[in-house]
Amino acid sequence: MYDFDIIVIGAGPGGYPAAIRAAQLGKKTAIIEKEAFGGTCLNWGCIPTKTLIASAERYHHAAHSEAFGVTAKSVSFNYAKMAARKAEIVSKLSGGVQMLLKSNGVEIIKGAARFEGPNRLSIVQPDGTKRWLSATSIIIAAGSDSAMPGFLPKDKRVIDSRAFLDLTELPKNLLILGGGVIGCEFACMAAALGTKVTVVEMLEDIVVVLDRDVRRVLRKRMESLGITLLTGAPLTDIAVKKDTVTGTYKDQTVEGDILLVAVGRKPNTAALDLARAGVKVDERGTIPVNAQGRTNIASIFAVGDLVTGSIQLAHAATQQGVAAAEAAAGLKSKVEKVCPSCIFTSPEIGLAGLTETKAQQLGISVKTAVFPFSVLGKAMAAGETDGFVKWVADPVTGQVLGAQAVGCHATDLISEAAIAIRNELTIDEVGNTIHCHPTLSEAWMEAAHAFHNTCIHLPKR
Amino acid sequence: MAQAVIFPKLGQTMEEGAIVKWLKKEGDPVAKGDILFEIETDKANLEVESFFEGVLLKIYVREGITVPVNTVVGYVGAAGEKVPNQAPKAEAPAPAPAPAAAAVPATSPAISAAPARVPAAVPAPVAAVPAPRPAPQPVAALAPEARLIISPRAKALAKDACINPSRVTGTGPNGRIVEKDVQTYLASSGYNALHITPAAKRLAAEKEIDILTVRGSGDAGRIMVEDVERAVRRRPVPLSRMRQIIARRLVESKQTIPHFYVTVKADITDLMTYRADLKAKGFNYSVNDFVLEAVILSLEEFPIVNSVTDGLTVSWRGDVDLGMAVSVENGLVVPVIRAAQTLTLKELNAQTKALAEKARTGKLTPDEMVGSSFTVSNMGMMSVDQFMAIINPGEAGILAVSTGRQVPAVVNGEIKVRTVMAMTLSVDHRIVDGSVGAQFANAIKSKLENLELWKALV
Repeated sequence: MYDFDIIVIGAGPGGYPAAIRAAQLGKKTAIIEKEAFGGTCLNWGCIPTKTLIASAERYHHAAHSEAFGVTAKSVSFNYAKMAARKAEIVSKLSGGVQMLLKSNGVEIIKGAARFEGPNRLSIVQPDGTKRWLSATSIIIAAGSDSAMPGFLPKDKRVIDSRAFLDLTELPKNLLILGGGVIGCEFACMAAALGTKVTVVEMLEDIVVVLDRDVRRVLRKRMESLGITLLTGAPLTDIAVKKDTVTGTYKDQTVEGDILLVAVGRKPNTAALDLARAGVKVDERGTIPVNAQGRTNIASIFAVGDLVTGSIQLAHAATQQGVAAAEAAAGLKSKVEKVCPSCIFTSPEIGLAGLTETKAQQLGISVKTAVFPFSVLGKAMAAGETDGFVKWVADPVTGQVLGAQAVGCHATDLISEAAIAIRNELTIDEVGNTIHCHPTLSEAWMEAAHAFHNTCIHLPKR
Repeated sequence: MAQAVIFPKLGQTMEEGAIVKWLKKEGDPVAKGDILFEIETDKANLEVESFFEGVLLKIYVREGITVPVNTVVGYVGAAGEKVPNQAPKAEAPAPAPAPAAAAVPATSPAISAAPARVPAAVPAPVAAVPAPRPAPQPVAALAPEARLIISPRAKALAKDACINPSRVTGTGPNGRIVEKDVQTYLASSGYNALHITPAAKRLAAEKEIDILTVRGSGDAGRIMVEDVERAVRRRPVPLSRMRQIIARRLVESKQTIPHFYVTVKADITDLMTYRADLKAKGFNYSVNDFVLEAVILSLEEFPIVNSVTDGLTVSWRGDVDLGMAVSVENGLVVPVIRAAQTLTLKELNAQTKALAEKARTGKLTPDEMVGSSFTVSNMGMMSVDQFMAIINPGEAGILAVSTGRQVPAVVNGEIKVRTVMAMTLSVDHRIVDGSVGAQFANAIKSKLENLELWKALV
């Protein structure tokens, strides 16, 4: 007999829901965490960044509200206090995760796990002692770390997003390598607090998963925040000087007090000794799994960032973790196909389902419809007229296949679109659903009308 | 004058074919040697070149329509030249040639232009072909439904509900289906309990899928787009022409040839060692080469297995025209090694390789795939212990070769690890009896186990 029915490695947003679900299903469950409960999301990702962004927005609004009739004199901020507030929220949530695990009867084990066989793990505990555990099924949810390519100088001025969050003072000049989601989120946050930011992205544009029209709004707003966006060429000759980090973009020299590296994430698979269990790992170090999260070894599952083809979002990992726990418990779990994404830039961006760009790549014919915030009463009232919502639909059946929102509260707005896509509504159900006035979500309804060119609130085309 | 483009006859046995793709449109300029169209025959896809220069004036035979060989499929001529609106009748076959001329060389000049490129509009040599057979019907579409007597309102309701009205029992005069009947049907068939997403409903209407035949996979059995797409995929699609031919010939074989089967297991341990030695010396023979040679030699010893019967007569085939089954994408072809008994092992190896390569690249000509007298089907690469093959009509037998495996075997009273390969002979019991089949199979086996033989042959 094994020590446990199910052991979960890693207590991030993939792992802890898996453990809780396994325990709910009556399985004797343990979870192993080497560092911090809540994983990257809670400790060095979603939560701390959103806490800092909230602080940055407060400051930005306080300092820029004269158009609203609000004048605040000598608005200032204390970044150390912002960081302290962030630490407090993180600590509270992390404690909450441990409480949830305990209340469900999950045994918490601290330490670093490695495989000794398909059902067997050894754990090095914080005090250095070693412990052996076995389980009928093992769910790997060990997550990922920022990738730090080998060509970068090793120096305290060259840091990843996690180290950036530990800063108690913001740099005056920030150089960011990588114009993806993480690079752009940090760029917006720092720029809102007055840091001079330069982003260098090798690809032809920032956040290329988005459609071009969506990117254009983001780019314009970031530039108006004073961010310099350098795209289409790599950053070369990166060197650490006395007080700065410099590099070359095309034939121009760029510099910052700090270089934030945001070029993607690498899976935490190497330390797990997966070969000892016979688990297949592909050349990028990620683990291929089937729809239920099962690896090539029947007793072992993998969820989250370290899975091949994963979209590396906390909520995706959570859904996969629950599905894997159910599959490990012998249920026929279903994995959801529609997973919305959120980007906390300024302005925010939400994305669900198919983009127009992706449809073109796949040769799927689609029809799109947009509605701009600039003519929306609520957006005007809130002074947030940048952005729009966009439907991507099947031209024949009108099925909504994808949606993007860019602008104020876009990350909240996208959930309505996700429900419509997931439940296979057509543009007509969306357009016929009464939406509250005045709200930003009206834009979805109006865009659905735009699909048929029957918008009430846009001039006739 | 405009020249007729004729559907070529590309092999002695070829009677019909279909154009799979026109590479020129009406009005396109055509140079001599340009590829006009691709055709699909019983055996292969081939490109057909223009023999003339000018403009493609007319296309009579669209893609996918099966026509007899020598049919006029279009015209090439000067721009603006007048051509008939309707295709002229299929060109009469060339006057029956004198018997001496009937012996057409295996590779007629018309198709020697490898890779599989043939000039069109040259009436290929015709070997006393009877009047062209009418083209067979394309694969029957779903049998047209008996004409429904249904009121317009009932029809509209059925359409709106995405159900097949022919399942509704009519209560009107002469069994006419009226709106009430459809309503009753919807109520009794469980229709009203169905859940379907809006997009799935629209797709079902678009694709004319009866949603009562769709199983829902969504929350609480809701019918999703994916479920309707599965229903669309359940509709019959015509088999490729190659598969239709395979189907026809295999059914013919199983229905007319009483098969029986004999399995023997050859110990190829020593042969494998010898093969490795040869390889080290630069002679690259495959196990298949040895099997084919053993079969050829055995067929010479047992002429009855190299014969064919129609149930009334039996004819010895004379030459060993050895067919080798080669699996290709979505099908199987059997190129033929002609007069294989005249080839040295080295020649056999070279021909086998060349034919297999042509088969894989789709460059076999029809004539390279007809007239085999015995076939070998080797699944040694597929990791199988044993299988039984179906005889090619026109032959008396086929040998199914399986994977050589290391097994414990008794050698001189001791258990040793040996490489053993199962071979199953299928033969036509009308002319080959059990004892002959057994002797023939054992003849192959003993040759494979006789190392002295191979030393003499290599």
